[in-house]
Amino acid sequence: MSLQAASGALPAAAPASLLRRLLGRPLAALALLWLSLVLIASLLARLIAPYDPLDQDLLAMRQGPTPAHWLGTDALGRDLLSRLLYGGLPALTGIVEALAVAGLLGVGIGVTAGFYRGRYDRLIVQAVDLVMSLPAIVVLLSILSIFHNSMFAAMISVGLLGSVGIIRVVRSATLAVGSELYIEAARIAGLSDFAIITRHVIARIAGTIIVQLSLFAAVVVLIQTGISFLGLGVPPPAPSWGGMIFDASSVLNNDAFMLVPPGVTVALTVLAFALIGDGLRDALAERWMQRGAGKVAAAGGTAVSLSGPRRAPDLEAVLSLRGLVIHAQGREQPLVNGLDFDLMAGETLGIVGESGSGKTLSVLATIGLLPSGTVVSSGQMLVAGKSYDLSDPRHLSVLRGKVLGMIFQEPMAALDPCFTIGTHLTEVLRARGGLSRGAARARAIELLREVKINDPEDVARRYPHQISGGMAQRVGIARALALRPLVLIADEPTTALDVTVQAEILDLMRGLAASSHMAMLLVTHDWGVVADICDRALVLYRGTCIETAPVAQIFSAPQHAYTAALLRANPHNALPGTELPTVADVWQQQALVP
Amino acid sequence: MNDVAPLLTVKDLGVTYLLKGGRRFEALKGVNLSVAPGETVGLVGESGSGKTTIGRVILGQTRAQTGRIIFDGEDITHADRARRRALGRDIQVVFQDPYGSLNPVRSIGQTLAEPLLGEAGLTRAAVAARVADILHKVGMPADTASRYPAQFSGGQRQRIAIARAVIARPRLIICDEPVSALDLSVQAQVLNLLNQLQRDMGLSLLFISHDLTVVRHVSRRTIVLYRGEIVEEGATESLHENPQHAYTRALLAAAPIPDPARQRAHREQRRMGDLTWRPEP
Repeated sequence: MSLQAASGALPAAAPASLLRRLLGRPLAALALLWLSLVLIASLLARLIAPYDPLDQDLLAMRQGPTPAHWLGTDALGRDLLSRLLYGGLPALTGIVEALAVAGLLGVGIGVTAGFYRGRYDRLIVQAVDLVMSLPAIVVLLSILSIFHNSMFAAMISVGLLGSVGIIRVVRSATLAVGSELYIEAARIAGLSDFAIITRHVIARIAGTIIVQLSLFAAVVVLIQTGISFLGLGVPPPAPSWGGMIFDASSVLNNDAFMLVPPGVTVALTVLAFALIGDGLRDALAERWMQRGAGKVAAAGGTAVSLSGPRRAPDLEAVLSLRGLVIHAQGREQPLVNGLDFDLMAGETLGIVGESGSGKTLSVLATIGLLPSGTVVSSGQMLVAGKSYDLSDPRHLSVLRGKVLGMIFQEPMAALDPCFTIGTHLTEVLRARGGLSRGAARARAIELLREVKINDPEDVARRYPHQISGGMAQRVGIARALALRPLVLIADEPTTALDVTVQAEILDLMRGLAASSHMAMLLVTHDWGVVADICDRALVLYRGTCIETAPVAQIFSAPQHAYTAALLRANPHNALPGTELPTVADVWQQQALVP
Repeated sequence: MNDVAPLLTVKDLGVTYLLKGGRRFEALKGVNLSVAPGETVGLVGESGSGKTTIGRVILGQTRAQTGRIIFDGEDITHADRARRRALGRDIQVVFQDPYGSLNPVRSIGQTLAEPLLGEAGLTRAAVAARVADILHKVGMPADTASRYPAQFSGGQRQRIAIARAVIARPRLIICDEPVSALDLSVQAQVLNLLNQLQRDMGLSLLFISHDLTVVRHVSRRTIVLYRGEIVEEGATESLHENPQHAYTRALLAAAPIPDPARQRAHREQRRMGDLTWRPEP
């Protein structure tokens, strides 16, 4: 068997280390640089500080920067640089203590609550709500009134109080991950809960945890500075950043510079913590987020170009499309490359292709509803006797509903759950059809009857969640037909439906097209649907029309090897149990440049 | 059936879901089926028929209210967690959605190694060798192990999911709509792969699908499920040629044939024979 997937992979790029990826981000690199600087300087304070932090030099009080005192001196003539350096270690220790408490509790409790759910989870949520309603400042001050000047006690309390916020975020992230299929697969593979939590859950939500912890670290720096500022943490005269700010504030009117060294240090440290979380998250995600640029090339073929000389629009056609080119923004390779087709009155044209062939994009372009990030580079459409430039979608809105009606793959998603079925229809009839309330109501019931809904009055009063998927698609069709369009565009209208319901919907569409002589443009990947309802089919491959022909001919004598291969890949035509010919084989066997 | 003792037997399985507001939904009403060693059994049904629930009960993901699941002579209906974890090596699964079933932050190698964690005495090198070997078997390039799911297409991911299912050399795989999310050309590749692995490894497959054509291609025996009950069961060919139950007939009549002329006749036959299925409310 041909296992062509091999050609889809990229040559392995040596994965850069996490540190290198982190340093590749300028802001994160600067933040990391600053924090490393603070850490090293604080650890080496005893060795590199020029003075003892408590040494008073009464001859050099409140000096600005001088060669002897690089950052100046305070009101007692103590060297600010030395005090800053000595104040670093208690500050960092406090951050680590608070982070450790908040991180262990926050992640531990948050992940288990989200993973196990049930009674344990409800208990945790209530406890979290309770702690969150406590006034943190009051709690902190009470703690400090019991443990005098104990920064350790204060930081543990801050960690406890902060953990509840992390529990909430981690719990909800875990809830979302917990229902993923890969968790179920891991369970079926026999992994223990602990292994699933550490390998799958925490790995998946690591980005969220890192950002929460880094933001919390930034807050802790501020809280700690505040506590020392109030004189409740590190007891003066021992150096601390908060204490230095307090010293500076008392002489602010005379000597504003004293505020600069501790102020800037605290501000930069807060900023660095906030930035490094984002950088770390992105650097972590970079490893697994990058997409395979070559994965679409799995079929192994080169881009197909079949465009001959361009024909003039067909004036006989209800809708005539010429030279449709669609690009993804910023990409050179077009998604749809010069598509032409003509849709005759009463005809049903099937656009057939695999995912990524551009079939849905092509029909969305005709009503100017391309998803963001994709644009029509060029394309002309002749419809209802007028020519439209598809690259300017603003003029296309007049066509929607009145000339081109559309139904979608997910019938339920196309209905607004807040409104009744009747409202969905009457709003179109009143806004675009100009009908009065009563007339719109009557016409809506008539439309529901036209799509073979047995009890239209009752259904009109119901909400979308009260009807089945097949019924929802009937409503979708009724809405598309409300303004009697010339063309009904259907994007995979039965793919989401059961096969028995699909047969009914296809019967309905066939009947409506025949009775109203309406043309239909049907996007599908299902040859059975093509055979059932289409008069003509257009085969699309990577944005290029491979061939177009009446269905009888497409099925009996496909002109292009790709069409033939796609037909043969259908197990319907194969002997049960035998190996199916695959499309990849065809692309491999012939270098297809027609 | 045959004279070989079945690998899997489902006896009188009943599952009831409790819905909001105290209402009950009977997902399965006394289902009986069996799978012989090396056999592929197709399980066909539409949405809400309970076909996925059967798979989930066998895998221990949903509790059975009544009935028994017997695997290789052992009643595993209410197996405890330790037993369940050990069973993970014998009974595996391939899901429909190849995007959701692989953790995006874990490399393919890490994901594939998971089912092997329970095997004692496997060295790191032995695990790597097994991973490389299985990747080769499913037709993926050797450097796949160091890559992440985002770098692969849907069909490639489904190959990887199949590799995960077979790496621990299980005896039974529950395939829950394994090709429904795939394009026709990729679907053919994945069906070929499943058929080939089944032959090479002597696997039993419970192949769950809504698509009769796909089921006919892979399974010799087919079971048709409707609203939690088995309405018909038999050799795939005879079920297709001579369906006994009205629902099976409706299902076959509704499936379009990829040939315009035959489909027209098929459609007329459905209309004339009034084979449009009207479920009683």
